[in-house]
Amino acid sequence: MADEPGGGGCSLQDYPTIDPTSFDVVLCGTGLPESVLAAACAAAGKTVLHVDPNPFYGSLFSSLPLPSLPSFLSSSSGSVPSPSSSATTLSTTSYAVVDLHRRSLYSEVETSGTVPELSRRITVDLVGPRVLYCADEGVDLLLRSGGSHHVEFKSVEGGTLLYWEGGLYPVPDSRQAIFKDTTLQLKEKNLLFRFFKLVQTHIAASSAGAEVGEGEASGKLPEEDLDLPFIEFLKKQHLSPKMRAVVLYAIAMADYGQDGAHSCEKLLTTREGIKTIALYSSSIGRFANAEGAFIYPMYGHGELPQAFCRCAAVKGALYVLRMPATALLVDEGKKRYVGTRLASGQDILCQQLILDPSYEIPSLDMPCNAPVSNSPRKVARGICIISSSVKQDSLNVLVVFPPKSLEEEQVAAVRVLQLSSNLAVCPPGMFMVYLSTPCADAFTGKKYINKAIEILFTTKASDDPEGHLEITSENNKEVKPTLIWSCVYVQEITEGTTTLSCPMPDENLDYRSILESTKKLFAEICPNDEFLPRNSAPKYADDDSDSAE
Amino acid sequence: MAANAGNKIRNAKLVLLGDVGAGKSSLVLRFVKGQFVEFQESTIGAAFFSQTLAVNDETVKFEIWDTAGQERYHSLAPMYYRGAAAAIVVYDITNPASFTRAKKWVQELQAQGNPSTVVALAGNKADLLETRKVQIEEAKTYAQENRLFFMETSAKTAINVNDIFYEIAKRLLQGQPAQNPQAGMVLTQRPNERLVSASSCCS
Repeated sequence: MADEPGGGGCSLQDYPTIDPTSFDVVLCGTGLPESVLAAACAAAGKTVLHVDPNPFYGSLFSSLPLPSLPSFLSSSSGSVPSPSSSATTLSTTSYAVVDLHRRSLYSEVETSGTVPELSRRITVDLVGPRVLYCADEGVDLLLRSGGSHHVEFKSVEGGTLLYWEGGLYPVPDSRQAIFKDTTLQLKEKNLLFRFFKLVQTHIAASSAGAEVGEGEASGKLPEEDLDLPFIEFLKKQHLSPKMRAVVLYAIAMADYGQDGAHSCEKLLTTREGIKTIALYSSSIGRFANAEGAFIYPMYGHGELPQAFCRCAAVKGALYVLRMPATALLVDEGKKRYVGTRLASGQDILCQQLILDPSYEIPSLDMPCNAPVSNSPRKVARGICIISSSVKQDSLNVLVVFPPKSLEEEQVAAVRVLQLSSNLAVCPPGMFMVYLSTPCADAFTGKKYINKAIEILFTTKASDDPEGHLEITSENNKEVKPTLIWSCVYVQEITEGTTTLSCPMPDENLDYRSILESTKKLFAEICPNDEFLPRNSAPKYADDDSDSAE
Repeated sequence: MAANAGNKIRNAKLVLLGDVGAGKSSLVLRFVKGQFVEFQESTIGAAFFSQTLAVNDETVKFEIWDTAGQERYHSLAPMYYRGAAAAIVVYDITNPASFTRAKKWVQELQAQGNPSTVVALAGNKADLLETRKVQIEEAKTYAQENRLFFMETSAKTAINVNDIFYEIAKRLLQGQPAQNPQAGMVLTQRPNERLVSASSCCS
């Protein structure tokens, strides 16, 4: 949230002086990776200073009130005002000062429609569409750190819909769902059952441990099958093209077309596909109140960094918002960073420095001039406000447009997440919708986001016969939701090139890859410490752990 | 925090606000543990404390959130205020600046919190009468104008500490149960967790 927390009365030029001036770890930016690192470092007993240039938590992972979105997307670039930077080749200091610059990750921002009333009650995610699997690393970290106590979740209870041949079909992701499905033929159902059973047996055998043996009798799939492209494996199981799309894009969440026609991108192996299916299946039913595999944090994804920051603070980390870092302090002898200069002009020394990815990291050899060598990945994102649900009687729903479903040239899936007011992200009577697709160029990415928006919503609230979208399972025509407001933009994703920089919000539906990188960063910062060990949750005095709903 | 209608236990999140050194943690420790430490460390290392209080035949179960030091550089997260049924804004009667800051915290709370939050103003360190700088009348007037209830407390001598929590509990019970129909689920580690669930897609 961009509300000024913490008392106000503090103008931007009125920077406080921080005491002490030396820490084990200094982190700049309060995005999810930095916040998790802060919690992990504090739990490992490090002294931690955590600063953020913004007056709110979350950086590139925050949730903003709608009115603050345009300025956030257009700002956060340029050099940080550095009050006294160049004037400090003081003879007393044993380090050099290298100015820091910040860059904007966002481009091609286009908004349309009318901002609804009560827009301050609308909270928008910068990382959408995104969810957590009930059994993923993000949930485990929340539980291990104690952060789970600070965030409430709700299910994406409407499940997943697949856009296929002009209609939206519910994704049969469980035995009951396959039974209940009215759109599948009996033969399709049987093949799908058999496929799931095969995979399930493999997962059970693999998790039972190696001692069972490797043979066919163990129920494990043979190695050559696991190394096969997943699509080939699905073909071997005689799944129809639609069922293959269900498994590949709506359950295994593949980004790119797997048909091989595009020679390209990433062909999922059976091993990788099954890994995600295993996560998906262990997510279903993990929490008694969660329907389906996915959950979403109430008040938006920006709550997650706040929760980890609070865990860090409880363990002694020091927090300063509204405090940009303006320069790196470099020990010229050792060629390493020894600290950072803050906007207040104060120099803070540290063993480890971590910056959020909006800071450009100058390389040690050629300061201030480190062009990104390869062209960065991009993700096109859309944020919409709509009048009614895309799926009758459902509040929170995921929709997947598989590759080629929008047009033949479409190489990447478009994922869509609809959220309702029950998540406290918007007032009743409207829904928030997030869309994303990875793209090579901005034009293509935005084209597919806009196409998906056109298919799902109508811009006019009328009885226009075109305003209908067939929900085949319901056997009746439903009126398309009306689009009230939308914003489409492109975000670039560059991999951190140094150990200094945390990962950016990526094109994925979940945080797995981001948290994997974060874990690696932690291993470099604290090689001898466990990453948020299970007992690192703060002790709750007199807590009789009755927090279960 | 939803009310438990069955056995008349009301769960209530209570947040502490106030300047560094006003005595927030000391008040909590006195109330929860009956302890006082002269030189309390800034960070007490607990995300929150739980304490129940009986008022007549009803019970309020407080979940008391301390700032964990995030107020030091005015960096409290919105999450801190969310769902707070009650707040105690603490200042130090020997420190006028802390009283000025307390007023800012009240404003902050009114901006962030919900209007039904029960807000108490606590003039702490009331045992240090000889170095008092904030007059009781001034604080009383301010509290009345802003519809807070006010007490001077001493975590050291325990004066009014239980009383202020008791008064909050009473006021919470007088008000409507905090209705939060939107309450979501809190994730908890379940003993019955299995890697593969019966209802999973692959069963």
